[in-house]
Amino acid sequence: MNEQSSSPRTEYGYAFLILRLWLGLRALFAGLEKFESKGSYSFAAYYENMGRMATGISGASFLPLWSTKLFAFSIGYLLLVFGLTLLLGIKTRLTLVAHGLLYVALSFGLMVVQEAEGVAWLGMHVVLTVGALLLVRYNRFAVTRD
Amino acid sequence: MSDVNSSPVSRRDFIGTGAKLGAFLAAAPYVARGAAGAAKADQLNVALIGCGEQGRILTNAALPIPGVRFKAVCDIWPYNLTRTERLLKKFGHEARPFEDYREMLSSVSDIDAVIIATPDFMHAEHTNAALRAGKHVYCEKLMSNTVEGARSMVVTARETKKLLQLGHQRRSNPRYQHARDRILNGDRLLGRVTNISGQWHRAVSDDYGYPANQAIVEAKLGKYGYANMHEFRNWRWFKRYAGGPMSDLGAHQIDMYNWMLGSNPRSCMASGGTDYYKTHEWFDNAIAIFEFPTKDGMVRASYQVLTTTSAGGGYHEYFMGDEGALKLSENPKYTKLYREARAPEWDQWVAKGIVASPTSGEGAPAAVKPWEKVGVKKLGGPSKSAGVDVRETAALSAWDIPVTLDKAIHQPHLENFVDAVRKGTPLSCPGESAFATAVTVLKINEAIAAQKTLMFKPEDFVA
Repeated sequence: MNEQSSSPRTEYGYAFLILRLWLGLRALFAGLEKFESKGSYSFAAYYENMGRMATGISGASFLPLWSTKLFAFSIGYLLLVFGLTLLLGIKTRLTLVAHGLLYVALSFGLMVVQEAEGVAWLGMHVVLTVGALLLVRYNRFAVTRD
Repeated sequence: MSDVNSSPVSRRDFIGTGAKLGAFLAAAPYVARGAAGAAKADQLNVALIGCGEQGRILTNAALPIPGVRFKAVCDIWPYNLTRTERLLKKFGHEARPFEDYREMLSSVSDIDAVIIATPDFMHAEHTNAALRAGKHVYCEKLMSNTVEGARSMVVTARETKKLLQLGHQRRSNPRYQHARDRILNGDRLLGRVTNISGQWHRAVSDDYGYPANQAIVEAKLGKYGYANMHEFRNWRWFKRYAGGPMSDLGAHQIDMYNWMLGSNPRSCMASGGTDYYKTHEWFDNAIAIFEFPTKDGMVRASYQVLTTTSAGGGYHEYFMGDEGALKLSENPKYTKLYREARAPEWDQWVAKGIVASPTSGEGAPAAVKPWEKVGVKKLGGPSKSAGVDVRETAALSAWDIPVTLDKAIHQPHLENFVDAVRKGTPLSCPGESAFATAVTVLKINEAIAAQKTLMFKPEDFVA
C-alpha cells in the first residue's frame, strides 16, 4: 500500500498541480493588473496602459506601432483566459503551449529594446512553462482531459 | 432778464469752470513734456565701464531688456574695448569707445546710468565719479576692497540722490526670493534655523594670459594703477586690487546669509592661506564662521572657498532648521529642499505651490521605462541590514522648489535696476544694504590675518 501511494506518478501529479496553479494565478493576475490604474480597474485603464506599452516599445525599437498595438491590446485578455483555463484545467496542454509562446513573444518585445532584466524575468516564466509541459501527462484535478 | 434767467452758466459755475481751464492751461506745457517724456521713458541710455569677462556677462544680460541702449563703453585695454564694441554693434548699439572714464562721463551727455564691472579697487572711484556726474549706477560686487571705499559709495549716492545698485544678483533671482519670502520666513518650512553652511569649490586653473601683441605698455598700466600686465589680467589674486576669493566668490553667498536671515553677524573667526599657488597673494583655501543673532536665536554660519578642488558639491548655501533644510544655488542642479521626518507633512505646501514633489533626481520616484506601467511599486532599495544604527536619525525626504529662472542669472537684477530708474520701484540691493555685506565679507580677511575671533558692532554696518 505504502509503495503504491508514493508512486512517482502521484508525486509528479502533485508537482504538476502546484506548477499549474502557480502559472494559472500568475497569468490571471498579470492579465488583471493591466486593467488597473491608480487602484481602480477599467477598460479605459487597460487601453491606456497597453497603449503606453506599445508606444514605448515602438519608440525604442524597429517594431511598427500597429504590430505592438495589436499585440498589446490582446495580451491582457489572453492572459486572463490562460489563467482561468490553467486554474480550472481546461485544455491544459494546448493552453501551456499557447502560454509559453505568449511569453516568448513578450520576451521578444523586451529583447528588441535591450531590456535584459525583463528578458531574464520572462525567461523564468518560459522555463516554468516548459517544465509544466514536461509534466502535463500527470495532469489531475482538471475539468477536461487532454 | 430772460437772457440772464435762461443762461445755463451761473456765477459759481463760471468761476469753477474758469479755474479748471486756467489750471489746464497752466499745466499744459508740463503735460506736453510729460507725454514726450513717456515716449522716451522706455529708453534707458547706459554706459559700461570695464569690458572684461564680467562686463561682457552684464552686457549680454542687459541686451534683452527692452529700451536699454548702450551709448558708451570704457576700458583701458583696447582688446577688451573692441570686443565689447563689436558685440554691441552686432545688436544695433552704437556705443562710443573710451579709454578714460572721465572723458566718457564728460563727453557723452545723454547717459542715464552706468554699469561698472572694473576690478574691486576701482569700484569706489568709478561709482563716485558716475554718481557725481548725475548718473545712476549699477556696480559689480564686492562694493570695494576696503570698507572706506564702500562707505564713500553709499555717501555719494545719498548726497547725489542717485540710485546705486550692487551686483549681488541672487537677491533678484525668483528662486531665491521664493526661498526667502515663502519657505524660510513666510511659511517657515525649515522651522527654527540653527545653522548655515556655504561653499564655493573650484578646481585649479591657470593664470590668465594675453596675446603678446595686445599687451598694454607699462607706463599706461602704471597710470591706471597696475604694476604690470600679469597683475592687470590676474588682479583677483593680488591684494592691492581685490579682496581675494572670499570677496570674489564668497561675497555672493555670504550676502545671502545676511539677506535671508535679515540680520548682520556679531562675530567672525576664520582661517585661510595661500597653500597651493605660488603666483597668488590671496588665499586659495579659506574658511570662516559667523554668529548671526536672529529673533529666533543664534544662527551659526560657516563658509568655505577653495580654488584648488571642485570636489564636495560645487557651490551652494545650505540653511538648516529643525524641521527642514534648504540647499540653494544659482545652479538648479545643486538646489534642493529637505523635510525632517519629525516635521509635519508638506502636502498642503505642495497643493499651494510652495514646494514641489521631485519628478527627477533626488527624491523622485524610480524612473519608469517608456513601456512600463506607471505607479507600480518596485521591490529593492537598501536592505534592513543597511539601515541606520541608533546614532543616526531618520533620513530627510527630498523636495523641489517650484520656481525657476529662465533668463541669464544677472538679467533680473539688471531689470530691477532699470525698473527702479524708470518707475521708482525699490532696488533689490541698494548701497546701504550691500555695505553691510561688504563689511561682513571684508572682516574675514581681517580675522585670518589677526588669527582670532573678531567682533562686530551694530554701527559697523551703517555707512
